Amino acid sequence: MRGHRRTLPTTLAAVALLSACGGGGGASSTPDGAAPDTRAVSKGGDLVLALAEDPDVLDPSLGRTLVGREVFVNMCEKLYDVDEELQIVPQLAAALPETSADGLSVTITLRTDAVFNDGTPLDAAAVKTSLDRHLSIKGSARKTELAAVSGVEVVDPATIQLTLSKPFAPLAGQLADRAGMVMSPAQLTKLGDDFGSSPVCVGPFSFVSRQAGNSIELKKSTDYYDADKVNLDTITYRVITDANVRLANVRSGDVQVSERISATDVDKVAADQTVRLVTGEPLGYQGISINIGNTAGVGEPVGKVTTALGTNKDLRKAFELSLDRNVINQVVFAGKYVPGCFPLPPGNPFLDESLTCAERDLDAAKKLIADSGVAAPVPVEMTIGTSPENLRLGQVIQSLAKEAGFDVKVKSTEFASALDASDAGKYDAFQVGWSGRVDPDGNINDFLTTGGARNISGLSNPQVDAALATSRSSIEMAERKTAFTEALKISAEERPIIYLYHQRNFLVSTAKVAGIAFYADGLPRLKTAGLTA
Amino acid sequence: MTSYLLRRAGASLVVLAMASIVVFLGVRALPGDPALALAGEERDPVALVQIREKYGLDDPVVVQYGNYVANSVQGDLGFSTRTGTSVTTLIGERLPVTLELALLAMAVGILIGIPAGIIAALKRGTAWDYVSNAFGLLGLSVPNFWLGLLLILFIAVQLGLLPASGYVPFFEDPVENLKRMIMPAFVLGTGLAAVLMRQMRSAMLESLSSDYIRTARSKGLPERQVVLVHALRNSLTTVVTVIGLQLGALISGAVVTETIFVIPGFGKLLVDAVFQRDFPIIQGAALLTVVGYIVVNLLVDLSYSLLNPRIRVSGAAS
Repeated sequence: MRGHRRTLPTTLAAVALLSACGGGGGASSTPDGAAPDTRAVSKGGDLVLALAEDPDVLDPSLGRTLVGREVFVNMCEKLYDVDEELQIVPQLAAALPETSADGLSVTITLRTDAVFNDGTPLDAAAVKTSLDRHLSIKGSARKTELAAVSGVEVVDPATIQLTLSKPFAPLAGQLADRAGMVMSPAQLTKLGDDFGSSPVCVGPFSFVSRQAGNSIELKKSTDYYDADKVNLDTITYRVITDANVRLANVRSGDVQVSERISATDVDKVAADQTVRLVTGEPLGYQGISINIGNTAGVGEPVGKVTTALGTNKDLRKAFELSLDRNVINQVVFAGKYVPGCFPLPPGNPFLDESLTCAERDLDAAKKLIADSGVAAPVPVEMTIGTSPENLRLGQVIQSLAKEAGFDVKVKSTEFASALDASDAGKYDAFQVGWSGRVDPDGNINDFLTTGGARNISGLSNPQVDAALATSRSSIEMAERKTAFTEALKISAEERPIIYLYHQRNFLVSTAKVAGIAFYADGLPRLKTAGLTA
Repeated sequence: MTSYLLRRAGASLVVLAMASIVVFLGVRALPGDPALALAGEERDPVALVQIREKYGLDDPVVVQYGNYVANSVQGDLGFSTRTGTSVTTLIGERLPVTLELALLAMAVGILIGIPAGIIAALKRGTAWDYVSNAFGLLGLSVPNFWLGLLLILFIAVQLGLLPASGYVPFFEDPVENLKRMIMPAFVLGTGLAAVLMRQMRSAMLESLSSDYIRTARSKGLPERQVVLVHALRNSLTTVVTVIGLQLGALISGAVVTETIFVIPGFGKLLVDAVFQRDFPIIQGAALLTVVGYIVVNLLVDLSYSLLNPRIRVSGAAS
């Protein structure tokens, strides 16, 4: 039986993101262009990390936010994690998963020295409890991620077997995120659905307290299997929503680390000797979703829209040709992001070299408009967020597109309202992005598949659907890459989304902080972080 | 006086009932589906249905309102849809913080605004008056977020004199608490100081030109007594009204200051909840704000009679 099994590296997502600008190095780096931070740190110390938003409930089954993942990463370990190159590596598992030849059974062996932060041991039964909860709890955010899992079986205390209803290539990627987090059965019994009020997992730090909207406190775990490598005594996450205030707090020393520094502040920070800049390469994307068939809401059958851009794919092509991604990057983001025209960042091993970006071509754009029979200027109503950065982006797009003959009306809308309108199909164009997932499936499938949960554009193309179905059922990387390439080539002609750029993550810390692992997934891993003497 | 109080209490209950309806319907009139806002990136149709079911968002509006009122009168304001924390607990944690900030800001406003207004009125047309007026204009014009950032950059980052942000409860460490509240209280208090200065100045000018002041002076009373006992006391009636109204404005206006100085206050709780469509928090916080306004206005009305014997509420006079 074992001879027929294949382990992950040759079959599933082993994503190594390289810098798009050719010189950026790997998935993460310390100060731009500098060598990795190997400074010695002392044991002990307290670290305050500024988050840009308040995390939602700290329950791995229910959690839905990126900031929530930033907290989880230091207190709730997963069956798998990613390394600096975004390759999937075992964390609470002892080895990479073994998949049966038919792809319908996945065996996971567990490490035997892991103990929850309440002192109870981690075993296969605990893993089953967590996976079953992910699949069954009301409002679970993990149910879709694990939709292919039809059964979870304890083979022995250190082995678990998942039965799948169909081969599902992104499974390992899902188990390297919240779906792979294992919760303490004892705490689940004690708190039930209220587990998020005092979560207990296996991790270098354990949960202490939370003041919603303000702070979350963790302390060094005494039960952690790798406790020798943990330096800090405590971590306090403090919610500071304003980017300027976050940066000022790092400079004053009130917080030691801050996430999400504005791209326009990066040069200033890099030149400041009192702080250190850490750059995470991109994983997600930002683009303009265009409503081409969403008339009744996401997940509903597509219909016929009435807008010029939505009805005519030549006009969408003209719109894309009117934009200059490099100008957008330079003017709005000081050149710090990575221009791109696909949902995967340049350098992603799943992004085929044949997929290239079209350059700005005003003459071609004007000709396409003239040939379309639609009188110029072509009206476009583009919904966009309310931040100053969003508004600058909207104005640059408006200005570039105007030269080709588009009249872009920038509709600055608060995010919850914009999300509601886009899901309901009440929009023309919507500037929105995606934080990105380790497996390319997470950046592509739900956005482009007919009826996909995030397909706000209303794209419905049988060829795209077929190619993306293959990308999920195939467990060979080459096959998956071919399938993704086919789907992306077809959707690039349809243009339900005009991809613009890929955001880098910028982290800033005081000069005394060292040892933070910061990869393209944007999660500051503080297990080995500490303060220099 | 008793009947007056009873009438006011009855009227307040009616206002409260109407406000609860307005708040409830207003929250639901907001564009944006709370289930979608909660789901964020991880939205899928099954989860959305379950979220709506879990929080009763799929019930008819009348049923939702009935549940809201029934629970509220028992002191149960529900649970945050985003974090699962009890709304009562959240408000209990946040309200004292904002009240402290508002009271300190009020102290700043009173300590600066009232003396400045008195001096401007007494020294009308002099440099004192012009400087006070200029200060008033500045205080009203400078946005809190700009002044706050400026203070953080100068006092916390450059000089390192005070912490840039954060909050420590007063009873945990009073000194640290005050160190962290000085800048935000100053930022929030400058606007109030400007308003009070202008109100005080005009009220004092009006009082100083009144007949009773002329009478007091003609009786040979010392100027100090004329100003402090007669003119100031009467002028304060107007100013106290403004202070009462401004307390509400300070609490609701504290959100910008709280955001910049990372103070876990009530205003920030409410605004964050609006952006996240966290209905239970919005409803609970708004309802409490309404109660606060009603109580403060009642207290202001009652204080009139204490400050000015000529004013008698009708119930008390009969």
